Amino acid sequence: MSMPAADEHVQHLPIEFANEKESIKITGFWMFLVTDILIFASLFSTYAVMHNAVAMGPSSQQLFQMGPVMLETLLLLTSSFTIGLGIYAMRKGQARALIYWILLTILLGAGFVFTEIHDFVSFAAIHATWHTSAFLSAFDILVGTHGAHVTFGIFWAVTLLFQLKKRGITAQTARKVFTFSLYWHFLDIVWIFIYTFVYLNGRIG
Amino acid sequence: MSETNQALTAEQAYQEDNDSALGFLKPQFHEEKFPTVQIWGYIGSLVLTFAAYLLVMNHVLPPVALLSVILTLAVIQAGLQLGVFMHLKEGRGLAWQLIPLYLVFLIAIGMVGMSIWIMLFKSGVS
Repeated sequence: MSMPAADEHVQHLPIEFANEKESIKITGFWMFLVTDILIFASLFSTYAVMHNAVAMGPSSQQLFQMGPVMLETLLLLTSSFTIGLGIYAMRKGQARALIYWILLTILLGAGFVFTEIHDFVSFAAIHATWHTSAFLSAFDILVGTHGAHVTFGIFWAVTLLFQLKKRGITAQTARKVFTFSLYWHFLDIVWIFIYTFVYLNGRIG
Repeated sequence: MSETNQALTAEQAYQEDNDSALGFLKPQFHEEKFPTVQIWGYIGSLVLTFAAYLLVMNHVLPPVALLSVILTLAVIQAGLQLGVFMHLKEGRGLAWQLIPLYLVFLIAIGMVGMSIWIMLFKSGVS
């Protein structure tokens, strides 16, 4: 009988998909992302409607500085790249490389959060808070929800570091790292739309 | 066994449907010697980001056209992230993740798009 072993297209599943019980949790995580898309879609809708309701407060054109925004964008895009390389290393079984890529991702994510907090504090200094106008309420809740997601992601990644250090790359830790990477890339996608629809659109006026 | 005029058994129909119509759902995983795809994905994201930035800062188009163009760039970049980094086409039971995702894109685009559209009627402020 012909053996399939001779077939050069035989492909083994990556470790995070190899175990059915772990694999289905990745599918489950996509379901979570689907619901998170709905949350952000409703916040974007609110922002679209409230964008020009500035009351007596500053408008987006007066308020937004593109410097910190470009820095945040670069940090998050780069962190998305580094966790992508982390998954690449994980599939090759390189635990040490994976840990360093996650560490780098955490640092870049922390840089993003600090830049964002700094930006929000500078807004508060000129009394541009969510009390000021419907525009700023919508802005703070949209950008703040994203920032809270990133902050949570950082803590999540730290727990992964401990698990990887203790257990190495197993079917379970690989699945956890993979779902974290999905989460992180998803947040990058949301940020692309915040960058475009909130900040750049704010400059268009 | 299976003649052309003979009805398919349930098992054969299942096999044929899976092979022809659902072939694209077969798990496929990319293995590379070097993370070329990731690097191109990163470069592409940077190019799209700065392209949008330069378009807006130089006001190359009237506002509504400009917003449409940069939103298109954002959608392309989101596709890049999904395809390159989130391994959208990889996984087991792909239909379970792709169909809800398409559905939620439809809802999200409808919700946000309609909100933008309705606000265009108050163009006196923009």
